[in-house]
Amino acid sequence: MSPQGDTKIPARRQLVTKPSRRADKVFFGLTSVAANFSIVLILLILGFLLFQAWPAFQSQGFSFFSGETWDSSATPQIFQIGPMLWGSVLVALLGMVIALPLAISLAYFIEFMAARKIAAVATTLVDLLAAIPSIVIGLWGFAVFGPVAQHWAALLHDYLGWIPYVFYHEGSNYGGSPFIAGLVVSVMIVPIITSVTREIFSQMDRDVINASIALGAGRAATFRKVILPTASGGIVGGALLGLGRALGETIAIFFVLNLVFHINFFQVINGEGGTVASMIVSKFGEADAPERSALMASGIVLFVLTLLISALSSYIVKKAQPWRTN
Amino acid sequence: MVETLLTESNAASHLEARGVHVWFGQRQVLQDVNLVFPSNQVTALIGPSGCGKSTFIRTLNRMHELIPGAGFAGQILLDGKDIYEDGTDAVDVRLRVGMVFQKPNPFPTMSIRENVLAGLRLTGKKNPNMDELVETSLRRASIWNEVKDRLNDPALSLSGGQQQRLCIARSLAMDPAVLLMDEPCSALDPGSTRRVEETIEELADQMTIVIVTHNMQQAQRVSHQTAFFLSEDGNPGGVVEFGTTEQVFNQPIDPRTNDYVNGHFG
Amino acid sequence: MTATQIQTSTIKPTNPWAKRNKARTRDVAVASVLPAILAAAVYFVGTAMGATVDPAVLLILGFLPLQLVSAFVVGKKYYGRHGREDALLIVVTIFLSTFVMVLLLSVLWSVISAGAIALRPSFILQNSHYISGTTSLDYGGAGHAIIGTVLAVAIATILTVPLGFGIAVYLTETGGKARGLIRTLVQALSGLPSVVSGLFIYSILVLMGWQTTGFSGSLALLPLMLPTVSRVSEEALRLVPVDLRNGALALGSPTWQAFAKVVFPAARSGLLTAVLLGVARIVGETAPLVLTTTYNNDTNLNPFNGPMAMLPTFIFGYIRNMYDTSIQRGWGGCLVIMILVGVLFVGARVANRKKK
Repeated sequence: MSPQGDTKIPARRQLVTKPSRRADKVFFGLTSVAANFSIVLILLILGFLLFQAWPAFQSQGFSFFSGETWDSSATPQIFQIGPMLWGSVLVALLGMVIALPLAISLAYFIEFMAARKIAAVATTLVDLLAAIPSIVIGLWGFAVFGPVAQHWAALLHDYLGWIPYVFYHEGSNYGGSPFIAGLVVSVMIVPIITSVTREIFSQMDRDVINASIALGAGRAATFRKVILPTASGGIVGGALLGLGRALGETIAIFFVLNLVFHINFFQVINGEGGTVASMIVSKFGEADAPERSALMASGIVLFVLTLLISALSSYIVKKAQPWRTN
Repeated sequence: MVETLLTESNAASHLEARGVHVWFGQRQVLQDVNLVFPSNQVTALIGPSGCGKSTFIRTLNRMHELIPGAGFAGQILLDGKDIYEDGTDAVDVRLRVGMVFQKPNPFPTMSIRENVLAGLRLTGKKNPNMDELVETSLRRASIWNEVKDRLNDPALSLSGGQQQRLCIARSLAMDPAVLLMDEPCSALDPGSTRRVEETIEELADQMTIVIVTHNMQQAQRVSHQTAFFLSEDGNPGGVVEFGTTEQVFNQPIDPRTNDYVNGHFG
Repeated sequence: MTATQIQTSTIKPTNPWAKRNKARTRDVAVASVLPAILAAAVYFVGTAMGATVDPAVLLILGFLPLQLVSAFVVGKKYYGRHGREDALLIVVTIFLSTFVMVLLLSVLWSVISAGAIALRPSFILQNSHYISGTTSLDYGGAGHAIIGTVLAVAIATILTVPLGFGIAVYLTETGGKARGLIRTLVQALSGLPSVVSGLFIYSILVLMGWQTTGFSGSLALLPLMLPTVSRVSEEALRLVPVDLRNGALALGSPTWQAFAKVVFPAARSGLLTAVLLGVARIVGETAPLVLTTTYNNDTNLNPFNGPMAMLPTFIFGYIRNMYDTSIQRGWGGCLVIMILVGVLFVGARVANRKKK
């Protein structure tokens, strides 16, 4: 039956399920309260922190982000997080650069190479290891892995020290460097990235992989030219998830970092640097009001950074997979 | 007259199945299948769901063995040589025996053109005339006119029927001697189905084609020979009747074949 | 034309692709094992002769290239062009996967072996009232910290679970307009660095002049637990088939009853998983507690008054001490936390399996 001539299409009606009975009203009301609480919570967090951080932003100006001095005893007090901010980024990037190939390898092994039983065991292990608290990693990083990592740093210096700048190192102690912190952080985030990547691999359309095999592609060709490109969006999303986690990592690297207020750009095995999160924990105990304000300001910067990464991750995942219908 | 442009051209091949038995784990699903697929002919495999037709066709390009727990016995002879012979690489078999799947599966990250050439990229084969190969393959798959102006568009921008013809073009670009088709039209609308069937008819005298189909009218339209598969009461399936399409549909020997082609079950 | 009767046969599968080609099996075995043997030989012989052979260097510059080359050769010999790159992929994948698993298992192993030294009944039952950094492990324990963690986590759970469930129900049951916004916010919240959550509560404490208590620690844990509980519960509710709920609604039941009597029971195990995972998420969180609680060597059973020790701050303090016995106590605390996490993890798995 097709409309002919002047048949007008009536205006759309709003279809809304509004609770009519009292019990339902209560039900909807309670859940709305809970939902609104999440809005309130985020606003409170940003609000409170901003309120307390404002004095520091005001007094320090833009050099809060770029400067290299943190002196609470000077007059006027100077609080600048440049080295720490950069250090957070450097350590997180190092962690991700190390963790990503490891995680993709492990995910590929579990999903496409291992026999089912081994794959199941490995998956359970990885999920369990993702639940290890950072304090445990922190103690392990300090007491067990630290000496090993320092040894590797020494080796890097011995064998690759001729490369200018990057592998520069002062002194004989190899502890407290971004390299070691990056290694420990990568141990923290590898399970998460592996889980996400494995999930993506397992949800891939098997028919696409079969098409590649039916054309005569070998294992490596299928992986490089079909599996990786198709999963790339999700993998990047997972990597950024790990990056965000790495940025916020506090305790795991607290004991393997050397908090020095001098921007260490890329001298990864040199024992200088720090992260914003570690700085907050180390300084808040004896901070007076202005210094506390500066620490709050640092916290906001960190939160904003992780929010940006999280948003970027969602965007990339959406953009890179336009063919996904879900 | 279509020219094949790969340097090693595969003329259509003669395919034969001898004493094929297939298992999934402990369960035997196919029993003593003996079929001959002469070169340059289309053979249809018909039968009710679940009687092993798709499983059988996957033994012809050695994709059955990819399933964990797969079991196989017997021989598949491609131009007289057993593809399961010791020392034969399954990958080499698949270069000569192509496959089109039930659900269109173009590579989602690639354009139309890249999809057609995907087989060469994946297997490292070189071809000096890529553009010609793309056009030839798309023409053979009866889709050139629809996509010639948008070769760089994403493959997924095509409709289902077009995607399936793209997949056919992709397989054809590898110049296989045998083309396997596993219910290629079951996910398509009638219009696209008709187009794909025309493509099959046109390809029929250039290559050996084995097509699994549920659609008996389709089998009658496109095939020279037909094999009727059946599995009864949970027993392993097998071939009940095999002969020219004319005979199987109009003068079937076995009463079960008669029942099936006349729509009494399945 | 042929017609055959289908008969059962007694043939067994021969699986020709899986046949062991003798030469190939031999070559693959040699290629897999020879580089390792050679590398080990170099190590032992070199060390015996007095030279220092660095294992890390031997692994990367000796073993790995050897293994890659031998896999390459065997791959090419039996599988031609694609065999080469496939062999390389296999070697690299196994090498990197093993490296990761060794690191991760080293963590587990360290916790178990080093923690076992400290673990004894007194460790669980006593507090650290008379303990200094160097006191022998025979005295004192983490009992007070265990109680503190249990109390703080319990309070955080009691506060978070209704909120998390409420959000999940709101997102799945009501047709509320703010659903997209709420979901985005909860996701944003999941990226909240734990130290910032601590700063947030700390800033409230400072502003209001309140003291740090066990309760303030719970509050700092809440924003960290909430996204996990909310997300997993939402997934659990989504898994309930829509038809179940629609059936109840079609029979005239009000929304809340459809939820309470149909959806909730069906999602029960998933919701339990959400709670367990949420608890596992916060049981080891340290940074927020460092900022919002004060450590206490004695047992304090009142979360609303006075300093309270918790396992993470217990461990943190002892690591800072750096004495050997302090570190051992730290390991003991780590082992207790890992046992808790392990129990929660297994519980979540079991609850998950009960799902139909």
